[in-house]
Amino acid sequence: MTLELTPPPATDTGRTVDQVTVSVIQGALENIAVEMGYRLMRMSYSSIIRESEDFGAGLVDASGRGLAESAQSTPLQSGPIPGYIRGILKIMAERGEEIRPGDVIMHNDAYSGASHGPDVAFVVPIFHGERLVAFAATTAHHLDIGALTPGSCGIVDAIDAYAEGLQLRAIKVYDAGQRVAPVWQILRDNIRISDLVVGDMEAQIAAARIGAKRYLELVERYGVETMEAAAEAAMDHAERLMRQAIARLPDGVYTATTHIDGYEDSSNPSHKALPLVVTLRVAGDEIEVDLTGTAPQVPDRPINMPLVGTVDIAIWLTIRSVLLDTAVYGHIPVNDGLTRPIRIKAPRGCLANPIYPAPTIARFCPGNQLADTVMKALAQAAPTQVSGGIGNLKVIAFSGFRGEKHWVHMEIFEGAYGGRYGRDGMDAVDTLYANTRNNPIEDIETHLPLRVARYELRENACGAGKWRGGFGSVREFAYLSDGAASVEGEGHCFDPWGLVGGGHGASAQLRLVREDGEQTPLPSKVPHKRIGTGERLRCVGPAGGGYGDPLERDPSKVLDDVLDGLISEDIAERDYGVVILEDRVDVAATAARREARIAAG
Amino acid sequence: MRLVGVDVGGTFTDLVFTDTESGRTVIHKTPTTPDDPSRGVIAGVIELCRRNGIDPGALDHLLHGTTIATNAVLEYDGAVAGMVTTEGYRDILHIGRHQRPQHYSIMQEIPWQERPLVRRRHRKTVRERLIPPRGEVLEPLDEEAVREAARSLKAEGVEAVAVCFLFSYLDRRHENRAREIILEECPGCFVTTSSSVAQQFREFERFTTAAMNAFIGPKVRTYVDRLERNMGESGIGADLHVMGSNGGVATAKMVAEKPILTLLSGPAAGVLGGAWSGALSGFDNLITFDVGGTSADIGTVVGGAFAEATARDTWIGGYPVLAPMIDIHTIGAGGGSIAYVDAGGGFRVGPRSAGARPGPAAYGHGGDKPTVTDAHVVLGRLDPENFLGGEMALNVDAATGVMERLAGGLGMGLHETASGVLTILNANMANAIRSRTVQKGLDPRDFTLVAFGGAGPLHAAEVAALLGIPRVIVPHYPGITSAVGLLTSDLKYDAVRTEFQIGSAVDCERLNRDFAAMEAEISGQFREDRVDPAAVAFLRSGDLRYVGQGYELRIAFPAGTITQQAMAAVLDAFTAAHEAEYGHAFEGSEIEVVNIRVAGVGRIPKIGTPAPPEGGSLAAATASVRMCHFPVKGTIRPLETPFLKREALPLQTPIKGPAVILQTDTTTVVPQGSSLIADGKGNLIISVGETV
Repeated sequence: MTLELTPPPATDTGRTVDQVTVSVIQGALENIAVEMGYRLMRMSYSSIIRESEDFGAGLVDASGRGLAESAQSTPLQSGPIPGYIRGILKIMAERGEEIRPGDVIMHNDAYSGASHGPDVAFVVPIFHGERLVAFAATTAHHLDIGALTPGSCGIVDAIDAYAEGLQLRAIKVYDAGQRVAPVWQILRDNIRISDLVVGDMEAQIAAARIGAKRYLELVERYGVETMEAAAEAAMDHAERLMRQAIARLPDGVYTATTHIDGYEDSSNPSHKALPLVVTLRVAGDEIEVDLTGTAPQVPDRPINMPLVGTVDIAIWLTIRSVLLDTAVYGHIPVNDGLTRPIRIKAPRGCLANPIYPAPTIARFCPGNQLADTVMKALAQAAPTQVSGGIGNLKVIAFSGFRGEKHWVHMEIFEGAYGGRYGRDGMDAVDTLYANTRNNPIEDIETHLPLRVARYELRENACGAGKWRGGFGSVREFAYLSDGAASVEGEGHCFDPWGLVGGGHGASAQLRLVREDGEQTPLPSKVPHKRIGTGERLRCVGPAGGGYGDPLERDPSKVLDDVLDGLISEDIAERDYGVVILEDRVDVAATAARREARIAAG
Repeated sequence: MRLVGVDVGGTFTDLVFTDTESGRTVIHKTPTTPDDPSRGVIAGVIELCRRNGIDPGALDHLLHGTTIATNAVLEYDGAVAGMVTTEGYRDILHIGRHQRPQHYSIMQEIPWQERPLVRRRHRKTVRERLIPPRGEVLEPLDEEAVREAARSLKAEGVEAVAVCFLFSYLDRRHENRAREIILEECPGCFVTTSSSVAQQFREFERFTTAAMNAFIGPKVRTYVDRLERNMGESGIGADLHVMGSNGGVATAKMVAEKPILTLLSGPAAGVLGGAWSGALSGFDNLITFDVGGTSADIGTVVGGAFAEATARDTWIGGYPVLAPMIDIHTIGAGGGSIAYVDAGGGFRVGPRSAGARPGPAAYGHGGDKPTVTDAHVVLGRLDPENFLGGEMALNVDAATGVMERLAGGLGMGLHETASGVLTILNANMANAIRSRTVQKGLDPRDFTLVAFGGAGPLHAAEVAALLGIPRVIVPHYPGITSAVGLLTSDLKYDAVRTEFQIGSAVDCERLNRDFAAMEAEISGQFREDRVDPAAVAFLRSGDLRYVGQGYELRIAFPAGTITQQAMAAVLDAFTAAHEAEYGHAFEGSEIEVVNIRVAGVGRIPKIGTPAPPEGGSLAAATASVRMCHFPVKGTIRPLETPFLKREALPLQTPIKGPAVILQTDTTTVVPQGSSLIADGKGNLIISVGETV
């Protein structure tokens, strides 16, 4: 059985509105979403929200269609917001529960639109008089949600959804304006470091309420009818943009496969080296994205990906970033219309469409790998608009006790992009659907018993190419007191792919370095592990795949990389056929070396 | 005292002279000389003096607004810079915060990777390491390694070096010692330290600031030296002061060391000029609205004081900069903004601009894209014969032609399309103003909009109406507001220290020690500038947040000894500010003092109140009556509109819109429903009526 995920059909309201008003209202809606994000980011306590910017803010119409999102949030947070709302609407309808003015609804059910459990949404319904006209919502990644071990990442040994922490299915935390005290008490009693987490939740509500207030001000100005007609027109406009972009692709079927590590140290073969398969069927101005062939779900490990909230976002994000690239097309407002021409097909029971209660909390890196697989398939249809394979990410929850109190810090470790047509890959950045920020070393060391012992580019490892892949990073965290780490990552076993003759990139590594310097390699997923004082974790980030034949790379660019200490002279010669002599390109020797290589095939 | 303000813009160098004793003020404009702007400055001062019978040798101060540092960054045209940094952290400058500027883009550029201020080959690492909380030395400075690094950088042809060590904001000694060693090895090299440009935490941002200072340093130093020398040789007797981004001026010597302080030199002077103009008419809650051909700069003045941007919101050319700056928000919206229909049939205006060349189609320089200026021409709001005082004739046919094409693409009428262009642009500008006011808890209805620049007064009344702003001021010389602003500035130096102290357990002794050290540092600077100590005032503030938060709010600290009691008042002020800015306060949560700051202000004489204008009469002012199109209750209607010459307007006499006011440097539109008076202070004041 296959679940087909098609967005709700557009409603034809029959109302018309002039294009000037459409443009003006759309700008105002985005402005509101930006203000919500601004307030949330600045008010929040946890570094995962305010430094890493792992939060979302958006406006959604009464039927659950996205109207606008905050520009200053991460795509994996803002993107799912409409799905959260649709999940809430469905659950509440099933329960026969009514949405009322003054309600604030909390939701994190990964099987009803949530991205995964730690990403909790707070939703404020917006009423104009008696009528529900829209929702203002914020999402954020919370430091802890009451799972089996501290933190909300690296819970890689949760065996089912119940082990992942609190499951919050459309719960009113304010009911018609009244604070629902028992619910808040449950949160406080079941979440570690609840002062921080509950503070962040309050910030989310304050930000969502501002969004609702501003939306109503707009309704006062333009009236509900005009607002709705403008929203329809804006969605239709976004849909046309996407359809035109798809229509420019040659019709055809494009398939790509990549693999995730899964649990590389597991004795169970169904836990590791799991294929992700994407088949794109481009016909006219529509794309079907078929995930048939993707590995079956892992019933007892949390690397399954919620179809709504993770899989759909990974797919939309990639298609949109390639076909309507901001650097090429300028700013394009995000709303429901952008996704209408895209149909997603995922066999029920596969990694990308798991069956409850299969756990999903550690779906972050698999989902980004899926985004990369979509790009690999798109590369066949639009080779000059993609990058070579990206280096995937890693998240570590550092934790411990200070006196009798928990401390938890989460850090996202960057990947790298592959080479691009006409341009080298981006070095040491968050990739695809993630776009968070690292924490300043000077902030971490001031506030936590941690020392960042090194943070540099990883030298001598990248995908060779006419346009080479981006370099990864090396980052080391030393523990100044006894603590623990929980790790969820990917990309240890499979190198990022090269494109159009480019070399593959380099996979990631993780090592535990003892005080005496002895190193132990660790897999990409490590459940809660004690780390002693003086020990350190060395994260070696992946490097992106190359684009195009390395022998065609401009020798002066190869020289630049050598002078910058990024690659050795040996690599220059081995990978690029460029001979360097006393800090200069030996032109004759390089030509000879390259010719010989080409002749040898 | 005799002061002259000189603001160098892209096209013109604007000059204002004032004699603070006699109150005499004259203005002058001369073409900018882009290859070496100091030539235009000198020529302008000499011309101004000659035409007005002023002795250039008797000038006291020359206050200068310059884009030389800004352009070096924006055009990526600076020195070959090097860096000496802590071993293990060579690529802080390159990795940044590991975030991509764009969410949805594969082909994007990352400015700090694509255009590094210091290339990796010139980033040398040395052993040394400080640790928090007090800057304890974990690893002593390897002086020999610094020496070696300096020699290598010298051999590599590096012209400027940034010394960037982790945690140097806690103890500057390692950085200072490294600087000494580098100067020993490379005498004459421009050497800067990260703790001297920004003594606060966040290594990527601080290192980038230092690297940028090195990158632009030699160029700015050369410029300032040359300008001072040429002033002397041309017989200009004035001291040179340069406008800083912080809204104060600094000595030429200071700017030659820290050119990073001048990145927003011109726009900052604009905010000051706007504030001065507003104050003349008795208004001190102001939104300054400076609109040119490609962009609009928006600033806020509350109770007469301009807002300073928080350190996390200051960027230039895509690089973060930790330097005190007036809070100025720039958006790509101006007279040259291009209107178009996008691939999906959407109606868009900007941020792309036709610039000055080819410019709008109406300029007749071959511009073939419909712009905002063309929309004004089509609607009749710009008089083709009276644009810029008649200096440039506008081509109505060309404007109509491009606008008709756009209208065809939209399936709309010509005037509806032109009016739509303005509506969309005005909405974009209103959104930008909203993000600086409403978003920060300020109510625009309590403000007056001060409109200047060539295009500000064309849009101001309609933008104000969108925001509920009741009043618009158009200053006397809207085209040279920045130059006027220069003459209202004081000397201003800033100092900052990162504290990371918890509010409930503040070590007051440490705060007092740090405040005293910063004030001593600034006093020393003023002494060097020969500023009378009696003219110096200190303003203290701190950056506070709830423990755990990542964004601070700027809170004033009292003068004198900080006691626990004084601290309690500061913490209460923080709670109130948090409530005002975010609409929420976390009662009972711990508050952290992240940074403390001192701004030292050395007062210098300023431009005085101008002589009251002589009033004219409506008859004398009326140049013509033309048909202009305005939206009236949702439809675009032609209305008979008088075009009035500003200099001949009667004083204190309400003039009902629609009306268009002409002057050489701008055009002011008073829409239907609004009215205007020329007040006795030289300002035009529009009472904004309901529109739409």
